[in-house]
Amino acid sequence: METIAVIFGGRSTEHDISIVTAIASIIKPLELTRKYRVEAVYIAKDGAWYWDDKLKNIALFTSGGIQDFIHKNHPASVQFDSGMTLVKASGIAGRKTVRKIDVVFPAMHGTYGEDGALMGLLDMAGVAYVGCGLSASVVAMDKVLAKQIAAANGIPVTKFLTFSRLELERDPTAALKDIKKSLAFPLFIKPAHLGSSIGISRVTDDTALQNGLEVAAHYDDKIIVEEAVQNLIEITLPVMGNDQLTPALLERPLTKPEDFFDFDTKYLVGGKKGKGAKGAEGYSQLPADLSNALYDKTETIGLAAYRSIGCSGTARVDLLIDSKTEQVYFNEINPLPGDLYAHNWNRAGVSNVELVQKLIELAKERYQQRNLLTRVFNTNYLQQF
Amino acid sequence: MIPLIVAPYLPSYAVTVVYMLQNTEYQIWPYLRWFWRTQDFSKVERRRQLQRTKPARLLLLTLWCGMVLQVLVGLLLIALWYWCGLTGGWAFGLALIISYPVTWAHLILVPLVLGRYLIIKPRQRWLIIHSEQIFKNHKGFRVAIAGSYGKTSMKEVLLAVLGESKKIAATPANKNVAVSHAEFAHSLSGDEDILLIEYGEGAPGDVGRFADTTHPTHAVITGLAAAHLDRYKTIERAGQDIFSVARHLKPEHVFVNTESPTTEPFLKPGFNHYDQHGALDWKVSDVTTSIEGLTFTITKGKRRLELKSALLGKHNIGTLCLAAALADLLGLSDDAITKGVSLTKPFEHRMQPYQLNGAWVIDDTYNGNLEGIRAGTTLLKELRAKRKLYVTPGLVDQGQATQQIHEEVGRLIAASGADTVVLIKHSVTDFIKTGLTAGGFQGELIIEPDPLEFYSNLSQFVAVGDLLMMQNDWTDNYT
Repeated sequence: METIAVIFGGRSTEHDISIVTAIASIIKPLELTRKYRVEAVYIAKDGAWYWDDKLKNIALFTSGGIQDFIHKNHPASVQFDSGMTLVKASGIAGRKTVRKIDVVFPAMHGTYGEDGALMGLLDMAGVAYVGCGLSASVVAMDKVLAKQIAAANGIPVTKFLTFSRLELERDPTAALKDIKKSLAFPLFIKPAHLGSSIGISRVTDDTALQNGLEVAAHYDDKIIVEEAVQNLIEITLPVMGNDQLTPALLERPLTKPEDFFDFDTKYLVGGKKGKGAKGAEGYSQLPADLSNALYDKTETIGLAAYRSIGCSGTARVDLLIDSKTEQVYFNEINPLPGDLYAHNWNRAGVSNVELVQKLIELAKERYQQRNLLTRVFNTNYLQQF
Repeated sequence: MIPLIVAPYLPSYAVTVVYMLQNTEYQIWPYLRWFWRTQDFSKVERRRQLQRTKPARLLLLTLWCGMVLQVLVGLLLIALWYWCGLTGGWAFGLALIISYPVTWAHLILVPLVLGRYLIIKPRQRWLIIHSEQIFKNHKGFRVAIAGSYGKTSMKEVLLAVLGESKKIAATPANKNVAVSHAEFAHSLSGDEDILLIEYGEGAPGDVGRFADTTHPTHAVITGLAAAHLDRYKTIERAGQDIFSVARHLKPEHVFVNTESPTTEPFLKPGFNHYDQHGALDWKVSDVTTSIEGLTFTITKGKRRLELKSALLGKHNIGTLCLAAALADLLGLSDDAITKGVSLTKPFEHRMQPYQLNGAWVIDDTYNGNLEGIRAGTTLLKELRAKRKLYVTPGLVDQGQATQQIHEEVGRLIAASGADTVVLIKHSVTDFIKTGLTAGGFQGELIIEPDPLEFYSNLSQFVAVGDLLMMQNDWTDNYT
């Protein structure tokens, strides 16, 4: 039986979302397959790693019992021994419990997880893992880089400017002047590296623009300001695959422009208005009601964006459509969508149990492909010294 | 190991004992067999929970009082040994304290046995004796419905179709033993045109006794399959019992489902036959089947009825056709017959479809025999779906034929075109696996050790376009 380590939590603003993704959308279906031994690895907000079966129970987190757990348990450690091994003190005569991991299933959103930091660690360890690799994760988590790479690959993106926090602190007036000169209201201001729509503002005047820049700079040291698309249709497309890509369904979040797809709308029960089902599945149109031609065009651009960023395993591509001109823009890409966008995959005919199994298989496939590459090269360089 | 030892001393233990009694319908031997093979009393209530009915609450109270009393007596003996030097007081006291779970798991049977033989049995006997006269004097047709499977379906279909124009009464739900018949008799107003009496055979001689009491004028025999073989031993003996209902009837008043090949040795000249090709003089054609139900045409001479039913599976055609033919014999109009058939719909847990996560689930968990498995797997094969899943724990009470029957179950599942098969782990799982292999099954096989976990997470296994068939479900007292 293969052992899968699901890593979640982490030092990120999306720590709590990661817990729900891991327990409800990954650990539960993985265990139901009866094919894998599933190990829950929780990274606390202070960065300490914990490994225990109790961490599979969402009630531990919802009740606040996690603090007590952290208090009573020693953090686990990780051993890199031609792969990855979890180690923890068993508490009996100093003995240690160890578990060799076959595949890691990262369930981390945001910094130190989805941004490539964890992937770098796993690459170093030489263990197979689910989802995008290091470079794709880094690019995907940087909205500026992602747009630049997409644009370089001929994928349309909206007009944007980018600033560092230092620039904004040093000369905010110059930044405002640049923005007003190059871009037209309404504008979106976003921290370049954060997901789950945290720190995003939609602004229509100078005062709001200034405030929005301050808010975004509070969360990130790189800020992107971009033009809003007129006659907007927001579309999101989950994609799965390494070389052969499988799109799920185009999904249209049903929000007004002023209620853009922000944190509350995405993750809180019933969205902002407190209606409907939970989070993203409560208020979206699935599949998006688009003409066949526009649907195909949007899907094609979504898949092209996935490829251009170099994604593997799974990711969710967000796109923007001007419904009048039918112009489709790449917006951003999310290398580990919350809840894996299982509700969308379900509608596309992929059950939760199938979804996690396919992602494990894709992880193993990519790992095997990478292992075929030559990593060492013998030279006489050292003999010169 | 420690939880196993501690479990009988927890407050929940009394609930578990009453749950075991309730689940075995307060039958002493099945309860005792279950009790003595149970190792972990903390894991008994897996599929259901104790229904806190009046008898259950009474038993629970008796258990708790008895256990507390025994512990108090034990403590008293220890105290007497300690303070007054009572010889052996500590040993007897300790023994009483340690043994109270086992003692009361057995002592609780005393009120049950006394109640059964002093109150319930005499009352039932009185009810049955008096019901015989009620049945005998009733002016309506008294239709006995017997068979190893399909009895409830036949009863419900006849109720729907004949009930369009006739006053009709039937034994409720699956209440199909002598005392249920007696209670049914006492509930009759006497002016019913037709009585439908379901015979739930369980042991040799049952059907003959039911017939002696209910005095049927007609009988429908819905089929013969391996069921209750722990008591009947062979399918032939089950057949002899089931067909004994025909002993006192004119052959033309007996209707037999000949789609069930095992009925053949018991057929007598003059019996009426029915199957998916027709019943009496009606012929069936143009059958279509889907998740929405059945459509088919029946013709007799120049008469032609186009019928539609929400029942699933071709195995229901014979039942529907017989009901339509009997309705015709009783003088119902074509419109009334068509309307009656259109009112038939799946019964709870019997080929009952519902949607889950956009997938179709067919709940056939009340199915408990090979013919039902055959019908279910045939339906799974016929229906179109993106992905087909099949779930079963297997069949119970198959006696010495257990291995052979479950290998056949495996072969039937393999032939159904299922992409994923989930076997709820039980003693017969390996036999089904052998059958799956023999049938060339190539799909995904999941062996699920925890049925509750599986059923409560069913939505995780299905997606839009899937079709999942669940057949049979073992209660906690089967292993």
